[in-house]
Formats: sequence, C-alpha cells, structure tokens
Amino acid sequence: MSRVTEPTPTQVRDTLMPADQGRDVARASAAVDTALIFASADRRPSGTVVSVEVTEVPQVTFFDPMFSFARPGASGLLKEGSQHYYGVQEAVLKNIEACKLLASIVRSSFGPNGNNKLICNRLDKLFITSDAATIVRELEVVHPAARMAVAASQAQERDLGDGTGLVIVLAGELLNQAGELLHQGLHPSEIVKGFKRSCEEALRILQLPDMEVGRVRDLRDLTTVADALRTCLASKHQGAEVLLAKLVAQACIEVLPSYFDGSTVNDLPLVEYADDEETRDRLRRFNIDNVRVVKVLGGSLFESTIVRGTVLVRDTEGTVKHIEKAKVALFTNDIDMSPMETKGTVLLHSGKELESYTKTEEHLLGERIRKLAETGVNVVVTGGKFGEVALHYLEMNGIMAVRCPSKYDLRRVARATGAVALSSLTDTPLTMDELGICDEVSVQEQGSTKMIVFRQDSDATRIVTILLRGATQNLLDDIERAIDDAVHAFKVLACRDPRLVAGAGATETELASRLDDFADHASGLEQYAMKRFAEALKIVPRTLAENSGQNTTDVITRLYAAHRQGNMYAGIDIEMDYASQTETSSLLGILDAKACGISDLLATKYCAIKQAVDVACTILMVDALIMSKPASGAGGGGGGGRP
Amino acid sequence: MAAAPAVKFLNPNAEVSRRGLALHANINAAGGLEDILRSNLGPRGTMKLLVSGSGELKLTKDGAVLLHNMEIIHPTAKIIARAATAQDDECGDGTTSVVLLVGEVLRQAERPLVDGTHPRHLVDGIELARTELIRNFLPGVQTVVDRDDREQLWRVVRCALNTKLSDELVIAHLTDLVSDAALTVHRNGEPLDLFMVEIMAMESRTVMHSSLVRGLVLDHGARHPDMPKDLQNAYVLTCNVSLEYEKSELGGGFFYSSAEQREKLALAERDAVAHQVEKILRLKRQVCDESGSNAGFVVVNQKGISPDALDMLAREGIMALRRAKRRNMERLVLACGGTAVNSLDDLNPAVLGRATRVFEETLGEDKFTFVEAASTARSCTLVLRGPDKHTLQQLKDAVRDGLHTAKHFLEDACLVPGAGAFECAAYQHLQEYAKQVHGRARLGVKVFADALLIIPKTLAENSGLDAQETILQMIEAHERGRMVGLDVHAGELIEPMGQGIVDCCRPKRHAISLATTITTQLLLVDELLKAGRDTRTK
Repeated sequence: MSRVTEPTPTQVRDTLMPADQGRDVARASAAVDTALIFASADRRPSGTVVSVEVTEVPQVTFFDPMFSFARPGASGLLKEGSQHYYGVQEAVLKNIEACKLLASIVRSSFGPNGNNKLICNRLDKLFITSDAATIVRELEVVHPAARMAVAASQAQERDLGDGTGLVIVLAGELLNQAGELLHQGLHPSEIVKGFKRSCEEALRILQLPDMEVGRVRDLRDLTTVADALRTCLASKHQGAEVLLAKLVAQACIEVLPSYFDGSTVNDLPLVEYADDEETRDRLRRFNIDNVRVVKVLGGSLFESTIVRGTVLVRDTEGTVKHIEKAKVALFTNDIDMSPMETKGTVLLHSGKELESYTKTEEHLLGERIRKLAETGVNVVVTGGKFGEVALHYLEMNGIMAVRCPSKYDLRRVARATGAVALSSLTDTPLTMDELGICDEVSVQEQGSTKMIVFRQDSDATRIVTILLRGATQNLLDDIERAIDDAVHAFKVLACRDPRLVAGAGATETELASRLDDFADHASGLEQYAMKRFAEALKIVPRTLAENSGQNTTDVITRLYAAHRQGNMYAGIDIEMDYASQTETSSLLGILDAKACGISDLLATKYCAIKQAVDVACTILMVDALIMSKPASGAGGGGGGGRP
Repeated sequence: MAAAPAVKFLNPNAEVSRRGLALHANINAAGGLEDILRSNLGPRGTMKLLVSGSGELKLTKDGAVLLHNMEIIHPTAKIIARAATAQDDECGDGTTSVVLLVGEVLRQAERPLVDGTHPRHLVDGIELARTELIRNFLPGVQTVVDRDDREQLWRVVRCALNTKLSDELVIAHLTDLVSDAALTVHRNGEPLDLFMVEIMAMESRTVMHSSLVRGLVLDHGARHPDMPKDLQNAYVLTCNVSLEYEKSELGGGFFYSSAEQREKLALAERDAVAHQVEKILRLKRQVCDESGSNAGFVVVNQKGISPDALDMLAREGIMALRRAKRRNMERLVLACGGTAVNSLDDLNPAVLGRATRVFEETLGEDKFTFVEAASTARSCTLVLRGPDKHTLQQLKDAVRDGLHTAKHFLEDACLVPGAGAFECAAYQHLQEYAKQVHGRARLGVKVFADALLIIPKTLAENSGLDAQETILQMIEAHERGRMVGLDVHAGELIEPMGQGIVDCCRPKRHAISLATTITTQLLLVDELLKAGRDTRTK
C-alpha cells in the first residue's frame, strides 16, 4: 500500500509556479484549517519549470569551441533559451511529480470535511473555497503537465458541473502509482494499456444494476430531488446542505419545463453518454441560467428565499417604486432623442431659434412617452440610459423607469415578463404582443440593498431567483458556486441519467475490490498496472478519512474488508465520533452509504473517472518536453514581484 | 588548427568549418534531429509536449507539427526540417520518415567517408539507388486498387491516423468521419479539393462525440435573441449585401433647424436599410407562403446587419447571421445550392439554397450554427469535439493528415504495404541491384539500402522489441520471398497487405526522392560559413 506523502510548501510552489513570480505558499498546520496561497500581482507568460534541472550536454571536443551551432544533440539545434527534457527520468517522472503536487493541494479540500483554501489572485480578489475547479483555476498553474490535469478538470466542470476534485485527485494518484511502476522498469505503454483496460471495466461495473442505489424517477418530487442534490452540496458546504438542497430543488422544479413531466429519462440505462438527438434535445430544454442567484449581504443563510421571476440589484430611476399588474415595455437603447449614424449640425441663427429647437425636441419626446402611457405601459426597462427629459415625462405619466445595463439581465427580464425587446422608442405604437406582463414590480429592501423584484405568479414564466443571505461576500460567492454545481447536477439528472450510486467512497472501494479480482485474470505486463489502478481508486475513501481526522490506514483496511465480505455500500463515516466508542469494532468509522442516503450522480462519477484516466494516460505517453523561450513582453521580465 | 582559412582575411568575424569538420557538423545535426523524432514513429511511438513562448500547450507525435514548432537554429537541421515540411505540404504525411531517412543515410555514410571515399562517389551511388527504386522497384511492389472501394479507403485512412493518435476507439470513429468527408467532396475525375472540408473544433464533451455535418458549421449564432434557433427544411439566402447604414464616401454634413427635421433625417437613415430588408421579407413571404409549409428561412450575410434590420427579420421569423467568413459563403453555396447574391435588387426563388435543418448550439459564451444540407451536398464540416485545447489541436493535425491520405487514395488508388515491409523489401531489392553497379558508386547504393532499414528498426524499438533480432528475422523472411512487416502490438511478423496495414504510394515515393536530394546536398558541402556574428549576443 502506498501513501501520498505531503509535499513541503517549497516543493509545491517550485513545481507548479515559478519561484521568481513571488508567490508565497503557507501550508496550514493541523490547527488552522485554511491554506493560504498567494498568486503574485504580476503575471508573466511563462513556460519555465523551476524544479526540473537542465542536464548539461557535454561539449564536443573536436570542434572549434567558437561554433555555437556545431554541438550535437537537440541542444545545439534549438534556439537559445528553450528547454527540453527527454525520456523517463527527465520528462515522465517530472511530469508525474508535478501532477502529484497539484493533486495534493486539491486533496485536502476534497469531500465534506475538506478544508478551505484562501486564494488571493493577481487582481487581489479573495477566494475562500474548497471547490476544486475554482482552486485550480485561480492557482494559474504553469507546469505543462499539471496544466493538462487542470484542463481535464475544467472539461469536467463544463460538462457536468461537479466532480472536478475527483478528476485531479484520481489522476494524481494514478500517476503516482504509475511512477512506482516506472521505477520498477515497466514501459509507459504497458501501463497505459493496463489503465485503459481497467478503466473500461470500471465504467462497465459502474453501470451494473447492483451499483445503483436509487434513481430520480419523479423530477417534480421535492424530497427525492433534494435528497439527490444533498451530497453534492455537502461536499461544498457541509452543515447547510439540507437547507440549500431544498432551496435548489425547489428552484429547479419551478423552472423545469413541462416537457419533462411524466417522462423520466430512458428507463434503459444510458450506456454511453451518447450524442443522440433526444439527449441533445433534452439538454437544450433545460437552461441552468433560469435559476439565478442574487447575493445580499447580511442576515443569515437561513433567511434565504426563492423569488419567482427576476431580481435586479438596483433601484429604479424615478420615484415610482411599486406597480401591480404591470405592463412592461423593453428597450435596448437609450430612452432619449433618436440616435443617428451621421453627424449633423443644428443650424441656429438666434437665441429664439435655440429655444424653439429645444422645445420641439422636448415636445416630440413628451408626445412619444404619452403615447406609450396610453397603451397602458407602466414600467419601462432599458438597456441604455434615460435622458433627463425623458425621465421627467415618465414621472409625469406615472411610469416606473428601470435601467438594466447587463444585456443578460435584460434578456431575463424579457423572458420573465414575455416582453419583446425593442431597439428604441419611436413613433410607431407598441402592439400588445410586444408588451410584457408582470404581476408585481416593486422595489424591496433587504439589509440596505435595494432591488427591483419582477414577481410573476403564473406558471408561464420559468425563471426563479434564489435570494441568498449571508454574512460575508466570500461566503456568498462560495455558496453561489455550490448552488451552480447543484443546479448543474439537477440538469444532469433530468437530461442525461437519473441514476445514483453510493457516495462516501463506497463506490470507489467497491470498484477497487472488483477490479482487483479482474486484474488477477489478466495476462501480460499490464496486470501490474491494473492492480495499481484498483489501488489508486482507494484514494477517494482514504482522502475522506484523512480529511476527517481518522486513523486512515485502519479505517481503509476495515472498509476494504467490509467490501470483501459483500457489504458493497460501505463507506467512510466522516462524522464518526471516536470519543463515544469504547471498543474497536470491525465497523468503526464505517457506515452504509445506501442506508444513510449518501449518493452521488452516476454520470458525474462516470465522466470523472474517464477524464482522470485519459489525462493520466496522456501524461504517461509524453516522452519529451520541449519548451520555447518564454516570450517576454507582458509582465516585463518579472522584475516587479512581491517585495 | 592549421593556418587560418581564407575567409578569415576577408571577414575576421566569420565562423567557418571546412571539409571533414563541415561534413561532421552536418552528420551530427542530422543525427540529432533523427534522435529527437525517432521515438514518435509508428503507432506505438510516444508523444512530445511542446510549450510555446506564450505558454500554449501542444501535444503531438506528428513530425511536421514538431518541426514547425521547435524553433530550430542549427543551419543544417533547418535545411532538413524545411525539406521535411515540404513533404508535409505535398503529402500530408511521412515527415518523420524523411527526417529519419536523411539522418540515417548520413550516419551510414560516415564510415566510408572516414575510410577515404570521396563524397561524390557516394552521392552517385545514392542517386542510382533512388532512380532504381522509383523506376523499377515501386511499380513492382505497388498494388492498384479500385478507388470506389470504401473498405480500402477506410483501411488507408485508419493506418494514417493510427500513427498520430493512440486510442483505438477514437481512431475507428475518426476514420469513419474522415472517409465519409472525403467521399462527400469527391467527384470522380476531379482532383479532390480539401478546402471543401471545413474543420471546426469545439471544446465540449469527448472526442467520441465528434461528427460529420454534411453542410456547414458557422462559428457564430443568430444575432437577435428572438430569432428562431431551430429551423427544419429551410430556405437559405446567401448574400453579400450591407444591411446597415453606410456612411457616404463624401464628407458631407447636414444642417437642420428643428427637431422634426432631425427626426426625419434619423428616420430616412433607417428607411434606407428597411427598404433593403423589405426585399428579403417579400422573397421570404413568396417562397414560404407558396409552399404553404412551415419552411424556415435563413439569411447568411457576409456584411453587417444593423440592429433595426435584425429586428425586422426576427419579427418575420427569419434566422439571420451576419459577418460570415468569405470562404464559408463559397462553401455554403456548394452545400445548399443556390447562388450568392451581391445585390437585393432582383431576388428570385432560384437564388435560394435549401437546408434540411438549421440550428444553433451554444457552448458557454460561444455559439455555433449548424446548417445541415441534403445528401447532395458537396461541402462538409468535420466537427471535432474534445475536452481541452491540446486534445483538439492533436485531433486537428491528425484529421488533416487523414484527409490528405484519403485524397491520395481517391486520386491514385495506389497502395504499398506498410508496417516496415516496404522498406525491408526496398533494402532487399537494392542489395541485389548493388551487384550490378560497378565501381565506387556501389558503396553509395549500399549506404542507401542500409539506411532504409531505419524505419522497421525504429518501429521495433518503439514497441519495446529487440531491433537487431527483429530486423534479421524480417530480412530472412524477405529473402524467402515473403512480404512481411512488423506487428507492433504483438511483436510478430505479419503480412501487412492481408492485415490491412497499407500506405499510399505517393508519400513513399516523395519521401525517397526528397531524402536523396537533401542527403546528396549535405554530403557535398565542404565548407560551412557563418558570416559575421550577431552583434547583440556579445
């Protein structure tokens, strides 16, 4: 059994980030639960790897030493300043090292008991999060191999929204295991072959009916959906997961189009995540943007609510603050005199002309707004600005004036009210189809934040806003990320695969146990790699146990034994209270994930394993690293690092 | 060193190496390049990770891509790299082979040179060998097949992709796509225009979700939120007409004295565009009402469309795309039919193309519009999907080579056995031929023959086999008249033609003549001058 050793801070920094960029990494001690990572304020585009040493190529003696171009081997051929590393020792093992270090950073944030990281990025923005996707994005990793792992986790984030930590941790552990095999003298291609075979088998086992602990059959059932989303949220925000899961489930069900009613996704298991017409169609129909999050500082998380319709965090322009049964007109351009492409000059001869010109202009605008009011419009929303005069006339007609500079927000208002966005205010009268309808538009105050709420009681609109309350901006940001992940998870459940597998490391341990047997039957050198693959999967329960402060080796042994005895849903009990236990039983620190309702999405797990194996194999197949001289320019040579 | 060379008197800063030294420098450089590329050859070759100056990652085992991105400065290596790139431009494949061959010929030539053979004699022999191979050997070993045989095409393309990618499933899937793409644009008797195959890379899902669209994929979407996003059975109007207000060339100005006048001018501005748009709307009503069906209507414009015009089109339920790429306009017409119009004055239904389906796909912030045409389309798009940038880049390079191979097949339909069998047979042939050559040129022929063995040797090495033993086995088999190659996975000898491991003839022929040209040039160099030094470096 191998253990990942904790790297020293210097190692981490030097391998992933160039030392001269002035990043400081402070590793948390056991008492402090936050690791600090500072990304430096300046950034240089760089491809330098500090920890890799350049091996000196011996000079050849029979040449005149003045011949800079006459040295043999690659070093003489390439441009000065470029670096190149070949072979297992120089390239492969160093790449593995880098990925392991990246994984070790992410690992301590894995699972519900994972610690947060405090990241201060180069714009001095603070992130306090345990979300792997955010951590690796803000770390600005430069080591090429580690960047490939980052890219894999980002692909996972994009397609499934969750499981990013799993990709990096698993890839890191696979490479760790591969590294040991390389030391034993195995050829990388044998290892890749073994990993690929094991991966195929793992994905097959994952879809066996007995791995399934449940499926979301009714997408409108609040309890089922909330239960399914709970584990996903717990890994980001333990403690608040029940509350958040309920909020998210409620929001998602509200926006779920009627198309999904009655039709559970194929009762037949989806073998591959195929690109068939139906799946694409389903994916198109559920837009995660329909669940919005608005963060309002202050209060507590338990005061968070759900609003049907849209919320804009700003005040109205005029004094009209509350309108019921609103008719909404939507414009994308300024509410002012018509803009023109050509420049014109107003030709004035006297003061009188000036006065009359201004008057005619004002009158024209006034007339238009009056006409607008006649059609019944009482709320005007614009993506541009309101002219002073226009605002005056709007006030006079009792029309609420709302500015909405974000075009995405504007589109949402359009969707929520059913209004058609017109380009600008013209003489042509508005038709009824172009107007939007809203049950109530009002300015509300939460804490000291004013917001305009477009409330819609009818079922016609499918847009819901979650009003999040919380003590600090960082907390709110982090919860928003967690909610985004959960909404994404709901989408996966609705559109791709409703199946759930056991969480708490149970699935991984079961896979490890079965793959171990599978490896026994393999002939050829790849058997070694397949055994290691099974071993690598145990990194998940091990990390969970480690992060919750358990005696890792003991627990893992017990867990594996439990699985060997046929207890296939046994997982790590992260809330295990050792003080209350007097004697050591064979199930100490272990729970039944199925009975406790800890479940993960099958699709997420499936794709994460696939991504991790793919990236690990790709990194193993690289036998050379050729880096051009980093382009100078932006950053100016890194002279201005942190003092 | 002996007395300073003459050039030193002319330019004291010049670097110079002569005779033996120059030759050694060349041989070493060629050998160095060979060493770098060696591990990439064949299906079991490993990859290289390139990091560009700006930090971009590139993962490749394609020789051409490597040579392009390596920033080589050594003059000799540069010559070889350029020549190899020429091979890539012409054939799309075989770059690594050229570099290996050049390196190996020079390496093999070193021995006779040290023994005192004049390079000229070697060069004569190498040239004889080339002529013999191309004139007498190739026609004997190549097989002409039926170019309509899809199975054969599939095999050739798979072999080409096999050397660039590693995953079996991916290779099989891409081979299907590439073969279909080539067949879509292929017209009997005409040279294949690979520009009619657009390659579109999207960062989404997995490689297995890549697909072939008979039609076009545009990398932008409709510019109005209310426009339809999915149209079945649509009419496509391809045009190059500005639908926004254009400033006149003259620097004129307007003077007005009342707001009404100003308003009128603003209105007139809009009317000019509205008038144009009205023409499109009329055509739309004409064709769509006529057919009575719910046929959609799509406008693809190379120039801009103003927001007001977009609004008008959106109300009519027309999907409009603005600022399409020029080459896409050409392809669109080939895919959907119709003609591209440059003026809206005499629109008639005949200029319209048809598409079976037009829809939009959103990936994060990016939008893509898929125009699927009927089966008669003569232009198509390969939509490559992959989880990240470097995977996509790798796919793109591989697909490009695959398409080139398909092109050779569809144009020549002439195959040679792969898996090192071709080179081994050529070696065998040259050994026989050497007996007929008189004088010192025979050395050159032998040098070239020995050098050819580098290909099977490297294939064996990369598969973790004993190169010497494998080569000896292969030669023995060839002597007994069996055309065998190497199975890189099992390490056994196989009959490549029977196993479907085949290469196109053209890249092989090119590689042989290219390699001889470069080696003969390099061998005949007797002085290497680097006039002056870069003043900045010291």
